[in-house]
Amino acid sequence: MSVVLSAVRSVVRTAMKAVPRPETTARVASALAIIAAALGFAAWPPATAQPLAPPGATSAASAAADASRAAESDTMIWRAASRLGYFPTPEITRAIRQHPRGAQGWALDEIDRAFEASRQPARIPAQFSALGSPLPTVFDEFRKDREARRKVEATPPKSDASSMGRNDGQPPAGPGAPFGLVTPVAGPAPFVRQIAQQASAWRVLACSDASIENPLLARLTEFWFNHLNVFIGKGTVRPFVGDYALSAIRPNVLGRYETLLLASARHPAMLFYLDQAQNVVDGSPGAKGVARGINENYARELMELHTLGVDGGFAQKDVRELARVLTGWTVDPFGSSGFRFVDRLHDQGEKTVLGQRFSADGEREGMRAIAMLAEQPATAKRIARRLAQFFVTDDPKPALIDRLAAEYTAGGGDLRRVMRALVRSPEFWDPVNELFKTPYDFACSATAASMQAGASNDGPRPRMALTLGFLASAGQPVNGWQTPDGYRTDAATWLSPEALTRRADLAAALAEGAGDPEYLMSFFSPATRERLARAPVQSRAALALASPDFMRK
Amino acid sequence: MRETRSPLPDATSPTQETRGASLARRSLLGGLAASGALATLGTPLHAFAQSAPALDQGRLIVVFLRGAYDGLSAFVPWADPEYRRIRPSIAIAAPDGSTASTIDLDGRFGLHPALAPLLPLWKDGSLAVLPAVGSPDPTRSHFEAQFQWEVGMPGKASEMPGWLNRLAMLDSAGSRPATTRVIGVGEANPRILAGSARTRLVAKGQGATRPGVVGNERARDALLELYSGDDKLSRAFREGVESRLMTAKELSSEMMAADNGAGSAAGLALDARHLATLMRTDPALRLGFLSAGGWDTHANQGAAQGQLANQLGGLARAIIQLRADFNQPGDLILVMSEFGRTSAENGSRGTDHGRGNAFWLIGDRINGGRMYGRWEGLARGNLNEGRDLPVLHDFRAVIAQPLARVFRLPESGLNDLFPGANWDRSLDGVVRRT
Repeated sequence: MSVVLSAVRSVVRTAMKAVPRPETTARVASALAIIAAALGFAAWPPATAQPLAPPGATSAASAAADASRAAESDTMIWRAASRLGYFPTPEITRAIRQHPRGAQGWALDEIDRAFEASRQPARIPAQFSALGSPLPTVFDEFRKDREARRKVEATPPKSDASSMGRNDGQPPAGPGAPFGLVTPVAGPAPFVRQIAQQASAWRVLACSDASIENPLLARLTEFWFNHLNVFIGKGTVRPFVGDYALSAIRPNVLGRYETLLLASARHPAMLFYLDQAQNVVDGSPGAKGVARGINENYARELMELHTLGVDGGFAQKDVRELARVLTGWTVDPFGSSGFRFVDRLHDQGEKTVLGQRFSADGEREGMRAIAMLAEQPATAKRIARRLAQFFVTDDPKPALIDRLAAEYTAGGGDLRRVMRALVRSPEFWDPVNELFKTPYDFACSATAASMQAGASNDGPRPRMALTLGFLASAGQPVNGWQTPDGYRTDAATWLSPEALTRRADLAAALAEGAGDPEYLMSFFSPATRERLARAPVQSRAALALASPDFMRK
Repeated sequence: MRETRSPLPDATSPTQETRGASLARRSLLGGLAASGALATLGTPLHAFAQSAPALDQGRLIVVFLRGAYDGLSAFVPWADPEYRRIRPSIAIAAPDGSTASTIDLDGRFGLHPALAPLLPLWKDGSLAVLPAVGSPDPTRSHFEAQFQWEVGMPGKASEMPGWLNRLAMLDSAGSRPATTRVIGVGEANPRILAGSARTRLVAKGQGATRPGVVGNERARDALLELYSGDDKLSRAFREGVESRLMTAKELSSEMMAADNGAGSAAGLALDARHLATLMRTDPALRLGFLSAGGWDTHANQGAAQGQLANQLGGLARAIIQLRADFNQPGDLILVMSEFGRTSAENGSRGTDHGRGNAFWLIGDRINGGRMYGRWEGLARGNLNEGRDLPVLHDFRAVIAQPLARVFRLPESGLNDLFPGANWDRSLDGVVRRT
């Protein structure tokens, strides 16, 4: 082992030498991790930030009497804040401690606060200038961007391709390459790149800074975006992802599911992502005289993933028929909604979906179909299961799923009602129901915690770059899951040995210059507290964020 | 929902007699008992399974193309008159010698021009292709189908270890192998590798080459102390530290060596190189897994150029990289996807979810340079539901061929791995006898 270790040390030194002045944020992320690794624990500046005492925390002496009760409540605070948000900031901790009906009472209030926040426009920092653009502007800039690129491609320097001995391009960016997030170019970035970067950065801001976004609203935006996933790596989708999160998902996460589903169905991001924008009646005239027709991609995933589930009782024929119902639903580059229905591209014939007949009724057919799908018992069950998996445990018991599904159905798909039932359920609070943080959970909470502990990262950008870079390398890039099923959120997917050590890299980089994170101690196990107490004070914050206790929510 | 068509059509389903005959022949080679199913007869097996553990016979690399790649564009049935008719804008041109046309293989099938780098493998006989392989389960859901392929059990929906992991367990007679035999590069925790056998999971891309914070001794010691418990998380972390230091060390020295003319690799080809390096450095690693996404070409998939051609080009580079590294007699590379795509193009110059698909086998022991398995052409009457290539061979029966012949996995092992699958006699020639 020691041979390995000394070799590793030399590798680290070599790597440091090899890392040039980091030009890109990906390099910043990895370089900082390496530098933190090589220097951090030996040379971190002494703690200057005052240790943050937990507000309202009882002193050791007075807490002695009800130590077990306090420990129990800290566990509940950690759980409530980490699941219905990302991290128990001092403000959140105080609010929960002071709530007359405890953590559950706070959680119910938090649902209402998130609902109120969802009715307000998102607070977008001024430097995110592209993100708030109206859709017609996005379309227009997207078109200009494409034309500019076509011009460049029309006059190729030809050197690269031929010198490499191949005539094919690189494969499209996969989930691992976060699409320009990591490659700022000289001069002002093209609009599409900017808006895509800002869409991902916004998500990280929202999940890690409670002064920007209500934490539960950020959580629910994450959940529903993932449930109705779109992929920022698909060229046509890319400029629209930010608006999709802010305009289609965010305002509807605590409304009726039908409303959310319809907003998703009509958004250019989804229309492009699952090719619904091209789903037209068979034999429609296309470019160069080639007839166009049915594309069943969206119709399939609408049933398989967004509503009924794969065992929800639909057949290939239903997919085909639903695709026919939806013909003519496409994008509108000029209207503020980005959506239009084109009757001449609509299949006027009779269709049957899940035994229900749809005679020619234009756009209303699709609206009816979506409403019908949203109210199916299979849909209620699927949504109940996914919410229980996301908020309670990887493998929820049928009793909880059934209760949530019944609530969904009774409320006509009212998602606020389902969320209330969820936090009222004993299962939500039962310590048996553990959850392991996904990379996204970890990145958001570690970012929030490092800000809390007074880390020296100057301004949000370097921290942002670290976090986005970590998520890309961890396999959970923001907005970057390629397929419509969305990220899995269970421990079986994310708990793996090498990946776990990569979390320590981010912890070390984020915690640079942070003070003693005394504030976190009450949430940790005695064993972890004791081990942290023995560590040098300047490395305590990094170790706290990298500790096993911090990996659970 | 179930398909009426049997995965093993009557026309080639051997009778009891011929099955017995073929398996008797097989048993001479591989020490396997004869039976219609992979596992029904209790005939004693040859002893060499004990004396020569299966995984010492070779190394197996599985490349999974997630999203259902369009096999009809990769291995183009260019001589079929239906092909061009049902794919008016996405068909690859018939072979005409130009770089934008199909590269003929056997007068019936040809390679997509972006797969040109594979031609030498075909010519030297190390690449064999079956055009219509799939799962007996008719699902058209990517996620359901991938799960079933990865656990090796069509129709399975409940929790189950992956078949590559189970293969490692079988090799050590069901107990957790003392050494790590399985490695995956790129994905966090792919299902095919999940299970009791310890698995090395390495990050994709350049990130895999860096030791990170655990490369610092003091930081490492402090972290190891935090994770000194006996819980699952702590054990995983300690395993991760060891694994990561090794990975970074092995890959970093490789990278320095590679700077001398090995050229740059990116994407899947880089992961392929990492996989090869790590498996070369640690000979106990025998089973490797790579995957690539981006194959779900519902719209504008292109023809000789375009979206799919770019994907195929990247895949070809990765396969060539793999083949250069996995060139020992027992090395084997399998390329597969969860199902195929519709035979005809759809209304947006793409293809939708289908059934049967082309499955590739690459290695010295492959009797390649030819297509294997049944092919019924693209006439509508021969298609599944009038739209897709039917599944003419069960994927498990294809994988069983090299497992039995190269890895000498006994019949009982094949049965544990793929319960309910049948030995497919019609594929018996695909693996060369030593």
